[in-house]
Amino acid sequence: MNWAPALPLLAFTFVMLVLPATRLVNDTFALRGGGYGLDNILRVIDNPVDRQAVAGSLGLGVVQATLASLLGAPAAWLITRMRLGGRAFWLSLMNVASNFAGIGLAFGFVALIGSTGMLTLILGGLFGIEDPFPSTGSFTGMNIVYLYFNVPMFVLLTLPALSVLKDDWQEAAAVCHATRWQFWRHVGVPVLAPFVIAGWLLVFTWTIGVYAVAYAVAASPGSQKLITLQIGATLESSVFGLERAAVLSVLLMLLAAGTTVLYRLSLKRAQRWL
Amino acid sequence: MSHVVLEDVTKRYAGHVALAGVSVSVEQGEMLALLGPSGCGKTTLLRCVAGLTAFDSGRLTIGGVDMTGVPVRRRPIGMVFQSYALFPNLTVRGNIGFPLTVRRETKTGVAERVEEMLELVGLSEQGDRLPNQLSGGQQQRVALARALAPRPEVLLLDEPLSALDAQVRHRLRDEVRRIQHQVGITTVFVTHDQAEALAISDRVAVMNAGDIEQCAAPSEIYTAPSTRFAAGFVGNRNTLELRTSGGRVTAGGAFDVEAPWERVLCMFRPEDVSLRREGPGARALVDVTVFLGATTRVYVQAEVNGSPATVFADLPSRAAASLSPGDAVRLSVDPGHVQVFPA
Amino acid sequence: MRRRIFLGLLGLYFGLPLLAALLYSVATRWTDTPLPDGYTLDHWIGVFGKPDVTSALLRSLLLSAVVVVVDVLLVVPAAYWSVVHNPRIGSVVQTIAVIPFAVPWVVVGAGLQLVTASFAPGLFGTFWLLAAATAAIAFPFMYWAVEGSLIAAGAVRLSEAAATCGANPVQTLTRVIFPAIRGGVVSGALLVVATAMNEFALAKILVGAKFETLPIWSARQFVSRTLGDPNALAVVTIFTFGFLFALSALVVRLGRGRVSTIGRTLR
Ligand SMILES: Nc1ncnc2c1ncn2[C@@H]1O[C@H](COP(=O)(O)OP(=O)(O)OP(=O)(O)O)[C@@H](O)[C@H]1O
Ligand SMILES: [Mg+2]
Repeated sequence: MNWAPALPLLAFTFVMLVLPATRLVNDTFALRGGGYGLDNILRVIDNPVDRQAVAGSLGLGVVQATLASLLGAPAAWLITRMRLGGRAFWLSLMNVASNFAGIGLAFGFVALIGSTGMLTLILGGLFGIEDPFPSTGSFTGMNIVYLYFNVPMFVLLTLPALSVLKDDWQEAAAVCHATRWQFWRHVGVPVLAPFVIAGWLLVFTWTIGVYAVAYAVAASPGSQKLITLQIGATLESSVFGLERAAVLSVLLMLLAAGTTVLYRLSLKRAQRWL
Repeated sequence: MSHVVLEDVTKRYAGHVALAGVSVSVEQGEMLALLGPSGCGKTTLLRCVAGLTAFDSGRLTIGGVDMTGVPVRRRPIGMVFQSYALFPNLTVRGNIGFPLTVRRETKTGVAERVEEMLELVGLSEQGDRLPNQLSGGQQQRVALARALAPRPEVLLLDEPLSALDAQVRHRLRDEVRRIQHQVGITTVFVTHDQAEALAISDRVAVMNAGDIEQCAAPSEIYTAPSTRFAAGFVGNRNTLELRTSGGRVTAGGAFDVEAPWERVLCMFRPEDVSLRREGPGARALVDVTVFLGATTRVYVQAEVNGSPATVFADLPSRAAASLSPGDAVRLSVDPGHVQVFPA
Repeated sequence: MRRRIFLGLLGLYFGLPLLAALLYSVATRWTDTPLPDGYTLDHWIGVFGKPDVTSALLRSLLLSAVVVVVDVLLVVPAAYWSVVHNPRIGSVVQTIAVIPFAVPWVVVGAGLQLVTASFAPGLFGTFWLLAAATAAIAFPFMYWAVEGSLIAAGAVRLSEAAATCGANPVQTLTRVIFPAIRGGVVSGALLVVATAMNEFALAKILVGAKFETLPIWSARQFVSRTLGDPNALAVVTIFTFGFLFALSALVVRLGRGRVSTIGRTLR
């Protein structure tokens, strides 16, 4: 009785989310000939393309999370210091850009820095620079494109956290004869660090899970291999080897679980002295 | 030579005047209370001294040195904020040691001074706690210790007790006073609580609308306020608006004082009112009595110069015991304790 | 000064890809010159007359509508019961909500493909599977928005008051609670719509060309560069951006300036 009104939601999400997840774990270990074992996992480990994909996804996640933090943290700080008008403008921009992780984004970047993109032609025509940009399907190219939604994501995530940094702490530090740098070293950075780490973890998780943009920019031959793309491709040629998709999916789920736990821990740490 | 001197300091916020030419000086080792209603500019004045707010015109010297253009972090001051502004990630020791650490003092020097300050504010047991593990009163002591640790010349306190409940507030008030005496530091103490201002300070500056109305010893502020605002703000007073005749005002026989204006406000304290069964004075009827412990407040309806007026008197409870509502009494006020201001 | 340069560069980075797409959508011919040869509004007028575009748009709108209805019906009673009667529902739901939040949607799609393959092969490739899957990944947005407004509206007190007036639970929910949390339901719905309109992974895996949504259409234009129509894709891109902008502006307004559409994440 006490659970009745929630049962439809719980049943629905169980079937649509929990069941598929358990099925993926099952298929990771289930052998084609019956029984359970590590053969599927070993086959993925032995496959050089899969190894490239795993390295590519992890590398992209780390680079993106780091760049998004380095660019997003100062951007968020500047936005909190803005007047109302500028603030509203930047907030809406960040909001839309963080949601704009789709085919359209890939198109915008190809139209800008692709081989016949606007900026490529301008740089080539006016300054005679040949090939100023990497291909959008390369590791570097993907990094350029991904920042478009990851920086805003990081900004939106950390903005509320920045408000924990009270103005009068800065004033109190000044009265104690601390320089601005000393304030950040002793108070500002230690207080904000757990929030930044939490933001880093979320950007990392989301980056390795991106599919639409990756699908679009990786359409060109010779592009960077990624876990999500491998899963998609395997499912499409669904005649054989679905175990491979299961193994890679479980890897992504493990990464998600790990970062979620770390994320919770860092937020808990952030709350410790607030 | 006064220790802290402000001369004609003004500050405007977008056309709104927060400080309208304030001049005041604080003597070496003195505790000056800045007393005034909310929004009168107390915090603004304190922040100008600290250098956290830049004033528009005027002059500020500390120890004879002009502070114009001197940044906050070079001023010889310590400050306690209304919200305490303790650094949440540093322990009590870390907070108190912070001003010493940023001055690049040696580790042992910092540690010694921190222990000294912990002892001074009575927190030796709590040195390793984080601010959010302390009570409000303890946080306040840490803020005080942090402000005093680097041995500043001047201590600034912005309503340091206002976030505490009444009992703790009274205890800490006396403790702040004790510590200030012990250290002998020149102090400016902002408050909007008149009892606190009178109890703690050597002198009180009564502020109103961005200006200082009166600056004098607590007893003088209490007994001889020089302006109508100061008289109305400090302590409870009866106020009667009366007409004069021949340069004097007589309140139906209650008192008779000089008054060089045509219409005047007469103010007097309830403890300066006496009620007798008979004798000289204005006629009055007892209305309500309110028992306050040692004293009883008696409200009477008096007839003063032909119009009715409500006056309250604080009598020793034993004397008031014989009065009950409806009794006819004679009301009189010691003329030496009546303040007269133009209406 | 340094902050001006930093923000300026950041603004340029966010503006330029949009500008390029915008120019593409109004260009007559643009091959190897820095700027288009000429400008025209023909693509903007023409795109919404192309049957493949209009039907893709209609499919996406239909999908969004179904998903919103499903999520409202599932989430509102559960959130209400959790806030007012049984907080343990909330903690179970929050735990499940982590799945679509942290696990990539490709993985959800892969799992669903495996499950349907063995339990209900007929369901694979249908609109209903896509709608259900999209509702499942979008439900946390609705749940967070509704729970937040239930708490803000003081749902516990309101229910008690309604009960003292003799209302039964259904009457309480429809007459008292629902009107009080309409704002939360609407902003949750807007976030769900934004998700459903933009969702690509599930649509690609579960239905693909059998039910071509707008993102699938875009992907087809983008990937087959010879057959695709870049000008039409440019129009759809700018249109999607504008649509998202309008949605998030609405959400920000309804949320009285709460900044993030990602729900309450870092707090
Ligand atoms: N940063 C500011 N911008 C605009 N006006 C301000 C600012 N700071 C203070 N004021 C105004 O200046 C006047 C004096 O403010 P101040 O904070 O000094 O008052 P206060 O005496 O400390 O009051 P309280 O007892 O409430 O703390 C007020 O009217 C206030 O509105
Ligand atoms: Mg103040």
